[in-house]
Amino acid sequence: MTSTEHGRSEIRIRGAKKSFSGRVVVDVDDLVLGDAAVEGLLGPNGAGKTTLMRMIMHSIPLDEGTVTLHKADGSTITLSELPAHQMMSHGVVKSTQVISDFDQLTILDSMLLAVAGSRHESPLRWSAEKELAAEYEDEIRHYLDYFGFTDPNAIAGSAGEKKLLDIVRCLLLKPEVLLLDEPTAGLPEDVTQNVMSVIRDLGEQGTSVVIVEHDLDVIWQLCDEVTFMAEGRVLMKSDPETIRGDSTVVEKYLGAGHG
Amino acid sequence: MLDWLDAFLISGFFGVLQIIGLGLLVHLQMGLSRVANFGVAGFWGLGLYVFGVLYIKVDWPFGDPFQFLICAFLATVASGLAGLLVAWLIADLDVDGALVGTLGFATVVLILATTQTELTGGATGLGGMRFPYDLGPAKTNEFVWVLITTVLVGAILLYVRWVHRSPYGRLLIAVGTNEPLARSLGKSTTRAKLTLFATTSALMGLLGAMQGVMFRFLNPATITINITLAALAGLILGGITRVWGAVVGVLFTVGLFDIVIQFYAPLPQEWFTQAIPVAREAVFGAALVLVLLFRPKGLLGEMKRPQLMRRIHDFN
Repeated sequence: MTSTEHGRSEIRIRGAKKSFSGRVVVDVDDLVLGDAAVEGLLGPNGAGKTTLMRMIMHSIPLDEGTVTLHKADGSTITLSELPAHQMMSHGVVKSTQVISDFDQLTILDSMLLAVAGSRHESPLRWSAEKELAAEYEDEIRHYLDYFGFTDPNAIAGSAGEKKLLDIVRCLLLKPEVLLLDEPTAGLPEDVTQNVMSVIRDLGEQGTSVVIVEHDLDVIWQLCDEVTFMAEGRVLMKSDPETIRGDSTVVEKYLGAGHG
Repeated sequence: MLDWLDAFLISGFFGVLQIIGLGLLVHLQMGLSRVANFGVAGFWGLGLYVFGVLYIKVDWPFGDPFQFLICAFLATVASGLAGLLVAWLIADLDVDGALVGTLGFATVVLILATTQTELTGGATGLGGMRFPYDLGPAKTNEFVWVLITTVLVGAILLYVRWVHRSPYGRLLIAVGTNEPLARSLGKSTTRAKLTLFATTSALMGLLGAMQGVMFRFLNPATITINITLAALAGLILGGITRVWGAVVGVLFTVGLFDIVIQFYAPLPQEWFTQAIPVAREAVFGAALVLVLLFRPKGLLGEMKRPQLMRRIHDFN
């Protein structure tokens, strides 16, 4: 076992292909995600970014290829052989692109659900709720205050609140690799800044963060490295400045005159 | 001692208790984790028949109450294992598939009970069970059995109430409302469904064993879909997502017909043999249609999670 060079966990995608109705949506030959603290995944609509994220999480099975997790401690896990629910136990966590929530659960419920382990969720553990709340109270209070959830006992109402709650659930899982699919879409400016600040801190603390985002300011401000995809393939991977200046990227995605 | 108490009233009350118990367990399956179960009579009937056959056919080296306890335990385990197997088969099916799968299981149990004549007595039935105690007249024994069953159903109610206040209940709600999202949080939703079905089916089996003792007779006519329909109608009427939904709903349906109308309504005697049982099913069905049309969440309404969380936590 050899640890990764940068001391963070990274995901390696090799020969990964996915087609829908005969149309190739993702065809990635060799890609490493997580070799920079915060990495952006950029590309026009239909480039295959979200599908690739879902393939990593095995919520969409691969037609061909492998996805492996190389952990900071040197161990390797083949993610493409694991059921979706086991990703989290290996530290790989993803937020959802489409706004998704538990209809009946409150904001606090959602947070407690995220932090609960199987020992808390036994059908016969009588004092589990109190133990769980006591164990994670400080952490939950921190996120409630930081993101300005005014009533933790309410059910998340607006799309923005649900989006934010999705991110908080991911943060509470203490990921080693965090995949964020359009994390700031629909969020007000001040909350977007808070989310960006949390992402930056996570990256500095050793989590590998991969972001798919259409708000280019978020990508330019946050990312140490950017992978550019189009038509299911990786066309380029480099630092943000190089990506911004590349003629292919400008032509296919950014458009002439982009500053 | 119990001259004031009608023997039929005792059995009517026992029937209401049984349906409340089953309704509470179905609430955990369908109300929280939204796993459809149209085979309640199968799990309950399996418990009844495993208990009865073991109690009557096996030459136990010890008498009651140990004979009862062992047989009831084995009946509970048998239904629990059946629940585990059925849950494994239906775990990835949609609601329609789960309904058909569970109904199929109940049909298998009914067919086995009817056709395995040597073991079960078939359509003519099988007698020979006893109360695990003898306090004198049958009515006294039955009355005490109703009290014991009340304690059991009360315990199930307390368990359901606890589930709503526990991380386990939250997991079940998460599985029911957004299974892919629950999986992405690391929850093994299949294991949650298997555990849920195993425990609730086991308790259904125990209720079946209680039924065997009360009526001391195995009869396949008791394990038909009517049991499932009564539990479901009561639960949906009361409120499928509420702790007290099954209690309120079953009292308004089975309780109203099998106790209030049977014993207290001044109706002609001949109605009770033909007209009332038919009217009972018709009224249950009509009540269900009306509730689903005008109050789809049931009499008690929808789950009140914000209020519950405010009561049990202080995160404001």
